[in-house]
Amino acid sequence: MKYGLTKIAGALLAAGFAFNTAAADITIAYPSDPISMDIHEQLSGGMMQLSHMTFDPLVRWTQDLQFEGRLAEKWERIDPLTVRFTLRKGVKFHSGNDFTANDIAWTLDRLKTSTDYKGLFEAFASAKVIDDYTIDLVTTEPYPLLLPMATYIFAMDSKFYTGVDENNKDKSAIIKFGNTFASNNMSGTGPFKVKSREQGIKWEFERFDGYWDKQSPGNVDNLTLVAIKEDATRVAALLSGDVDMISPVAPNDHKRVKQNNKLELVTLPGTRIITFQMNQKSNPALQDVRVRQAIVHAINNEGIVKKIMKDFATVASQQSPQGYLGHTPELEVRYDLKRAKQLMKEAGYENGFKLSMIAPSDRYINDAKIAQATASMLAKIGIKVDLKTMPKAQYWPEFDKCAADMLMIGWHSDTEDSANFTEFLTMTRDEKTGMGQYNCGYYSNAKVDKLVNDANTETDTTKRAAMLKEVETILHNEAAFVPLHWQNLSWGANKKLNMKPVINVMEFPYLGDLVVAE
Amino acid sequence: MTQDKNMSLLEVQHLQIEYPSRHGVMVAVKDLSFSITAGEIVGIVGESGAGKSTIGNAIIDLLSPPGVIAQGEVYLNGNKISGLSREQMRQVRGSKIGFIFQDPMTSLNSLFTIEQQMVETVLANMDVSREQAYQRSLDMLAAVGIPEPELRIKQYPHQFSGGMRQRVVIAIALICEPELIIADEPTTALDVSIQDQILELIKKLCKERQVGCMLVTHDMGVVASVTDKVAVMYRGQLVEMGSTAQVLGAPNHEYTKSLISAVPRSDLKLVRFPLVNYIETAEEIHQLDIANHWLGQSQDQKQYQGPLLKVENVNLRFTTKDSIFPSRREYVQASNNVSFEIHEGETFGLVGESGSGKSTIARAIAGLYTPQSGNITFEGVELTELKSEQARRPLRRQMQMVFQNPYTSMNPRMKVADIIAEPIRFHRLAEKHQVDQIVSDLLDHVGLGRKAGLKYPHEFSGGQRQRISIARALATRPRLLICDEPTSALDVSVQAQILNLLKDLQDELNLTMLFISHDLPVIRQMCDRIGVMKHGHLVEVGNSEQIFTAPQHEYSKNLISLMPSFAAFSKQNLQIAK
Amino acid sequence: MFTFLLKRLVQATIVMLVISLVAFAVKDNLGDPLRELTGQSVSEAERQKMRTEMGLNDPFVVQYKRFLINAVQGDFGTSYTFNRPALEVILDRLVATLELVFAATLIIIGLSIPLGVYCAINPKHGFSKLVMAISSIGISIPVFLTAILLMYVFSIELGWLPAYGRGETANWLGWESGFFTLDGLAHLILPAFALASIMLPLFIRLVRSEMIEQLSSEYVKFAYAKGLPQRRVWYLHALKNTLLPVLTVGGVQIGTMVAYTILTEKVFQWPGTGFLFLDSIQRTDTPVITAYVIVVGLIFVITNTIVDLLYGLINPTVNLTAKG
Repeated sequence: MKYGLTKIAGALLAAGFAFNTAAADITIAYPSDPISMDIHEQLSGGMMQLSHMTFDPLVRWTQDLQFEGRLAEKWERIDPLTVRFTLRKGVKFHSGNDFTANDIAWTLDRLKTSTDYKGLFEAFASAKVIDDYTIDLVTTEPYPLLLPMATYIFAMDSKFYTGVDENNKDKSAIIKFGNTFASNNMSGTGPFKVKSREQGIKWEFERFDGYWDKQSPGNVDNLTLVAIKEDATRVAALLSGDVDMISPVAPNDHKRVKQNNKLELVTLPGTRIITFQMNQKSNPALQDVRVRQAIVHAINNEGIVKKIMKDFATVASQQSPQGYLGHTPELEVRYDLKRAKQLMKEAGYENGFKLSMIAPSDRYINDAKIAQATASMLAKIGIKVDLKTMPKAQYWPEFDKCAADMLMIGWHSDTEDSANFTEFLTMTRDEKTGMGQYNCGYYSNAKVDKLVNDANTETDTTKRAAMLKEVETILHNEAAFVPLHWQNLSWGANKKLNMKPVINVMEFPYLGDLVVAE
Repeated sequence: MTQDKNMSLLEVQHLQIEYPSRHGVMVAVKDLSFSITAGEIVGIVGESGAGKSTIGNAIIDLLSPPGVIAQGEVYLNGNKISGLSREQMRQVRGSKIGFIFQDPMTSLNSLFTIEQQMVETVLANMDVSREQAYQRSLDMLAAVGIPEPELRIKQYPHQFSGGMRQRVVIAIALICEPELIIADEPTTALDVSIQDQILELIKKLCKERQVGCMLVTHDMGVVASVTDKVAVMYRGQLVEMGSTAQVLGAPNHEYTKSLISAVPRSDLKLVRFPLVNYIETAEEIHQLDIANHWLGQSQDQKQYQGPLLKVENVNLRFTTKDSIFPSRREYVQASNNVSFEIHEGETFGLVGESGSGKSTIARAIAGLYTPQSGNITFEGVELTELKSEQARRPLRRQMQMVFQNPYTSMNPRMKVADIIAEPIRFHRLAEKHQVDQIVSDLLDHVGLGRKAGLKYPHEFSGGQRQRISIARALATRPRLLICDEPTSALDVSVQAQILNLLKDLQDELNLTMLFISHDLPVIRQMCDRIGVMKHGHLVEVGNSEQIFTAPQHEYSKNLISLMPSFAAFSKQNLQIAK
Repeated sequence: MFTFLLKRLVQATIVMLVISLVAFAVKDNLGDPLRELTGQSVSEAERQKMRTEMGLNDPFVVQYKRFLINAVQGDFGTSYTFNRPALEVILDRLVATLELVFAATLIIIGLSIPLGVYCAINPKHGFSKLVMAISSIGISIPVFLTAILLMYVFSIELGWLPAYGRGETANWLGWESGFFTLDGLAHLILPAFALASIMLPLFIRLVRSEMIEQLSSEYVKFAYAKGLPQRRVWYLHALKNTLLPVLTVGGVQIGTMVAYTILTEKVFQWPGTGFLFLDSIQRTDTPVITAYVIVVGLIFVITNTIVDLLYGLINPTVNLTAKG
C-alpha cells in the first residue's frame, strides 16, 4: 500500500512535521521503460536515463552544456590525437569491485562492438592504460568531439562482465534480441542499483550504499520507474498523486499541471529539430533554390509553434539549437507570404505545382497536425500537397525509400554537436562513409561536405565554430531544408521534488542528485 | 366471500373483456353469461378472433396485458373469484381450477424435469411433504396413462412425444384435484390418433372425478365427440348455446349454420362448400375468359400418354446423428421405397400423421430434396437425372408449391404485385408490358382484388396470404400444383373458401394437384385418389371413396376409425357430390 | 463428446493456421523492426547485416515454413524487445488480462442480470426507463472516453482510486492475482468498470429482452396456471430460461473481451496482453504480434467450446453426442 503511505506522509507534512532525514521514495513515469539492462544494447533516451542512474560516465554535461568530471577528476589534451584522463580513486562498483582504468579501456572496447555505438566511436583507437588511475584516449585523427563522446563512456565492471555465464555464453556479449548476461545483470558505479524489473511495466531502484559521490545532495532511497504510455494517463497519475514526476507532459495538459498548487511544471527548450526535407530527386521543381526558398517563406512556423504547439516549442531557422557550436543567431525566421509568391513567380511556377508529402502520426509532438497545417500553408502559394500521415512503424520504411517530395524528420544530435545534424541530414549521400544517411532531400553541396569533414578534425573550438556557422548559413541561404522548431522538453512533478537542478536539455535528469523535501 | 348453494360449479355472468389501447378500446368478449356444472364438458367454439381463449384466461386472471375484465363476475362454487387479490387468485389456480394449454411442446419448461414441474405444483397448492408430493405425481402420471412413471418422471419434456407431453400437462392440471378444468385447444397440436386418446382421457377423467370442463376449441369434430354442451362464439359474443346434439344438428343462428356447413366432413363429399355470409369476405371472383386469357394459354399443354407424375421407389433419409465413424451414424428414413402416379387433371392426396414423410415426398418432387435412390418422372422426363439448374428450370416452372405458412416464404419488403410478378419475370413468361395486367387479373381471380397488389404481405390475414401464395404459384402457369397443408393454419370458414378456390382453379385450368394434409375430412373433400403414409412407407393407395369406406390396410382402418363422427351434423344447404 | 472435441480441435487448428498466415502476411507491412531496435546513427549496412542474421531477408515461404515448424514445437520466436520467447511474454501478461476480464465479467453478470430482470418485470417503472436510457447512451460511448471519465472522477477529483497500473498481487493456490490484496483490488476497480462498460448495456438489453420473451411464453403462463407464486415463476422458471441464450451470446462475447481489453489496458497502463499488443505494434515486435493474434484466436475457440459444453450441461435438450 505504497499509495496510502504517500497519502499519510503528505498529511503529516501538512500538519507541520518536517523530516530532515534523507529518506525519500519516489515514483517517476515515462512513456516507456529501458528495453534492457545492457546499456550498450541500444542508444536511446531511455537507455541514457538508465545509464546515468546506475553507471557514471567519465564526464557529463552540465545544464549550460559544459563538461563536469565524474569518474574523471581532470583531463588534458596532451597531443592532437590524445587526451589524458585522471580517474577518481576509491570508486566501487555495485559488485564490490574497485574501479580502475582497465574498466574504462574494457568499456571502450565493448562500445566499439556495439551496433548502436560503433559508428560514434569510429574515430577512437584503443585506450592506453598508463596506470590504475590514468588513461589516455587516443583517436585516429584529431577529434574535436572527444569530450562529448566521453559522456557516453560509462564505466562497466570489467571483472563482473568477463567470463562465461551458466549457459557457457560470453558475459560481455551484446546481442540485440538475445538473452545475454549483460541484459539481465548489472554492475555499475552509479547512485542506484536495480532492485527488480518487470519489463514494460516498472523498474525498482534502490540507492547504492557504497556510492562514491558523497557530495551529491541526492536523498532518494528508493526510486520506481514506471512506463505509462498514454499521455492522459500519465498526467492523471501525477494529478492523483500516484506518481511524483512525469515526463513529458503533453502540451494540452500544461495548464492543468500548472494550476495544481502541489505540482510544478518545468519546460526547457529542447534540442530536437523538426524539419521537412525537400526531395530534389523525386520532384524536379525542388531543384530550383527559388522554389525551396518559396516553400520556406510560405511556411509560418511561428504560427505552428503558437497555435499547434501551444508555445511548447522554439521556432527554428536552422538546425543547431542555442548552446551548440554552430548556432548562428543572425539567421532569421523567414515567414513572408508575399516574398514566397514572388519567388514562385520568378521560378516560373506562378500557377503552382503538385507535390506529395508524408509525415508520421505518432513520432513527434503533433506531427500529423503540423503536416496538415504545412500543407494548407503551401496551398496559398499554389502548391497542391498530397499528404499522407501514418504510424511511425509504417513511416520509417517509407522514409527510407524517400518515397515522397516532402518528408518530415526530427533529429536530435547524439553528440550534442552541430556537425551531427549535417552529417545525417544534409551532407551528400554516400553509402561508403554513411554520410547523408537520412538526406532524403538529396541536397548536395561540396562546400558543406568539406566544411563538416574539416570541422570533424578541427580541435580548435573557435575555428570549428566558424566552420559550423558557415555550414548553417549556407544551408539557410540555399534553403536546403525547412526548419520548423525545436521541441521543448517538459517535466511535471510534485513540488517537494527539487527538480530544477537535476534536469537538462538532454532529457535525462541526473536523478542521483535529486533532493526530495520531506 | 359469500357462497350461494344454488349456483353451478362455474357461473360466468355478464363478462366483458376489453383491451384498451391508444386507438380505442377493443372489446374481446361482450356480455357473456354461461355456466358449467360438475362433471359436465362444455365446448366453447368459434373461429380466431371470436374471443374464446380470452374467456379461460379471464377466469383465472391470466389475461395478457393490457386485457382487463371490464364488467361481470365469475363464480366458482358460488364464490366470487373475479377481482381477487393476486395471492387469493393464486390459491384458486392449480388447486381449484386446472388449465390445459394448446401446445404441450411449449407449456412445459424444457429445463426442468417432469418431477420438478409436478412436485412444485403439488407443494405450491397442497399442504403435503415432498415425498407425498412425489408419490402423488407418480400416481397421477399412471392415471393419465404414462407407462413406467418412476422412470419417466426423471426425464425432461423433450424426451416425451407430443401426446405423452399433453398427458403430462393434463396430469399437472389435475394433480391438485381441481373442481374445474379449462382446456384451451388441448388437441390442436396433436396428430389424429393422439387427439382421440387425449380427448377420451379428458372425458374419462372428468366423468370419473366429477370435474367440470370448459373445452375451448375451433374444431367442430372435437366438439361433436366429447362435449355435452356447446357455446358458439362469434366476434366476442355468444351467438348460440345448447346441447351439443341440438347445436350441431339443428343450429338456430345463421353463423352457426354457416360454420357447420363449412366443416369438411368425412362422411360425404361436397361439390363446393356453401358460401354463407358471416364469413371473412373475399372479393367476388372476376369472371375471366380463361380459355382466351394468358393464364389458359400455356405452351406446355402438349399431350403425353401416361401419368403426368410418376414417383418410383423413392428413398430419402436424414441424418439424425452424425459421426466420423459411419457405423455410429443414425438416420431417419423419411421416405422408404415410395411409388405412386398422378394423372393429368386429378387430385392426388397424401395423408398421414406428422413425421410420416408426406411433406418430404412433396419437397423431393419440387426438387428441394434429392432422394438417395429412386426416380421421379414428370411427363416422361426423369427429374433426378437433370443435372444442371438450366435443364431443371422449365420443369420446375410447371410444378409449383403452396405451403402451410405462406408468410415465411414471402419477402416482407416486397409489394404483393412484385411477389406475384417475380416468377413471370424470372421465367420470362410474358412481355414486360403485359405483366402488370396479368398480375392484376391473377389477384382478381384468386379473390383479392387488384388493389391488393400495392400492399405488403403483413397487411393481409392468413387466408388472404394463402390466396397470394396461390396467385404466385399460378403465375408460372403450372400444370402441377403441390399443396402442402395449405389450409392447416386457417379457420374453418376461410379453409372452405380456399378449398373452393383450389377446386375452381383446377376445373378452369385443368390443373393436376398433389394435396398433402393430415386432415382426413379435408382430404376427402379434395382428392380423387389418396395415398396413406406411415413412417416413410406408403401403406395404401386407392380411390378416395374406397379408402374412406373400405380401407384395406390396418393403419388406414385405424386412422379412419379415429375420425370424429360428423353424423350429428346438419346437412342443410349442402351440395353433395355423387 | 469425443467427436465433438475432436472436431473442435480440427477447427481450431485450421483457424490457427489461417490466423497465423494472415498475421504473417501482414507483418511486413507493420514496419521495420530494426528501426525500433537500433539507434538513429546506425548505418544501413549494419541494419542489413542484422536483418540477414534475423532471417528477415528470407523469402516469405521460407520464413513461414520456419515459423510453422517452430510454432508446432511451441516456439513463436523471440520477442525483439523482451529478449524472451514471445509466447512466454504473452502468457506472463495474460494473467493480468484474464484478471481484468474476470473482474469485468463479474461486474457484467452482477449488474446486468438484476438490472435486466428488473427492467423486464417492471417495464413501466421510472428506474427501468432510466436504466434503458443510460444503456442506450452507454452503447455508443467509446470505452476510451468512459475510461478517461472514470479516471478523472475517481482518481483525480476524488482521489479514491489509483489511476494506472495493476497494484500489488498475491499468490493464492498458485494463482498470482490482484484480487487478493487491497491495493490490487483498488487498482482493478476502474479498469474493470471501464472494460465492463463496453458490454454492460448490451447484456442488460439482452437479459431484459430475453426475460420479456420468456415472461410472455406459454410455459410461464402455464406455471401461473399451476398456482405457482409469482417469485418462483420469475426467478426460477423464466430466469433459468433467460440465462440460456444469455450464456451462449454472453459467453462468446466474454471470450471476445480478451481482445476488447486493448483500449482499456492502454488507458490504464494495465500490464496485460492488449497493452503488450499495442506496444508491440508500435515497436514492430512481430513475433509478439503474431503470437498474440494466435493466442487470442485460441482463446476464442476455447471459450466457444466451453460455452457449448456448458450449454449442453444446462440445456437438457442439447445432446453433444448427437451434435458431433
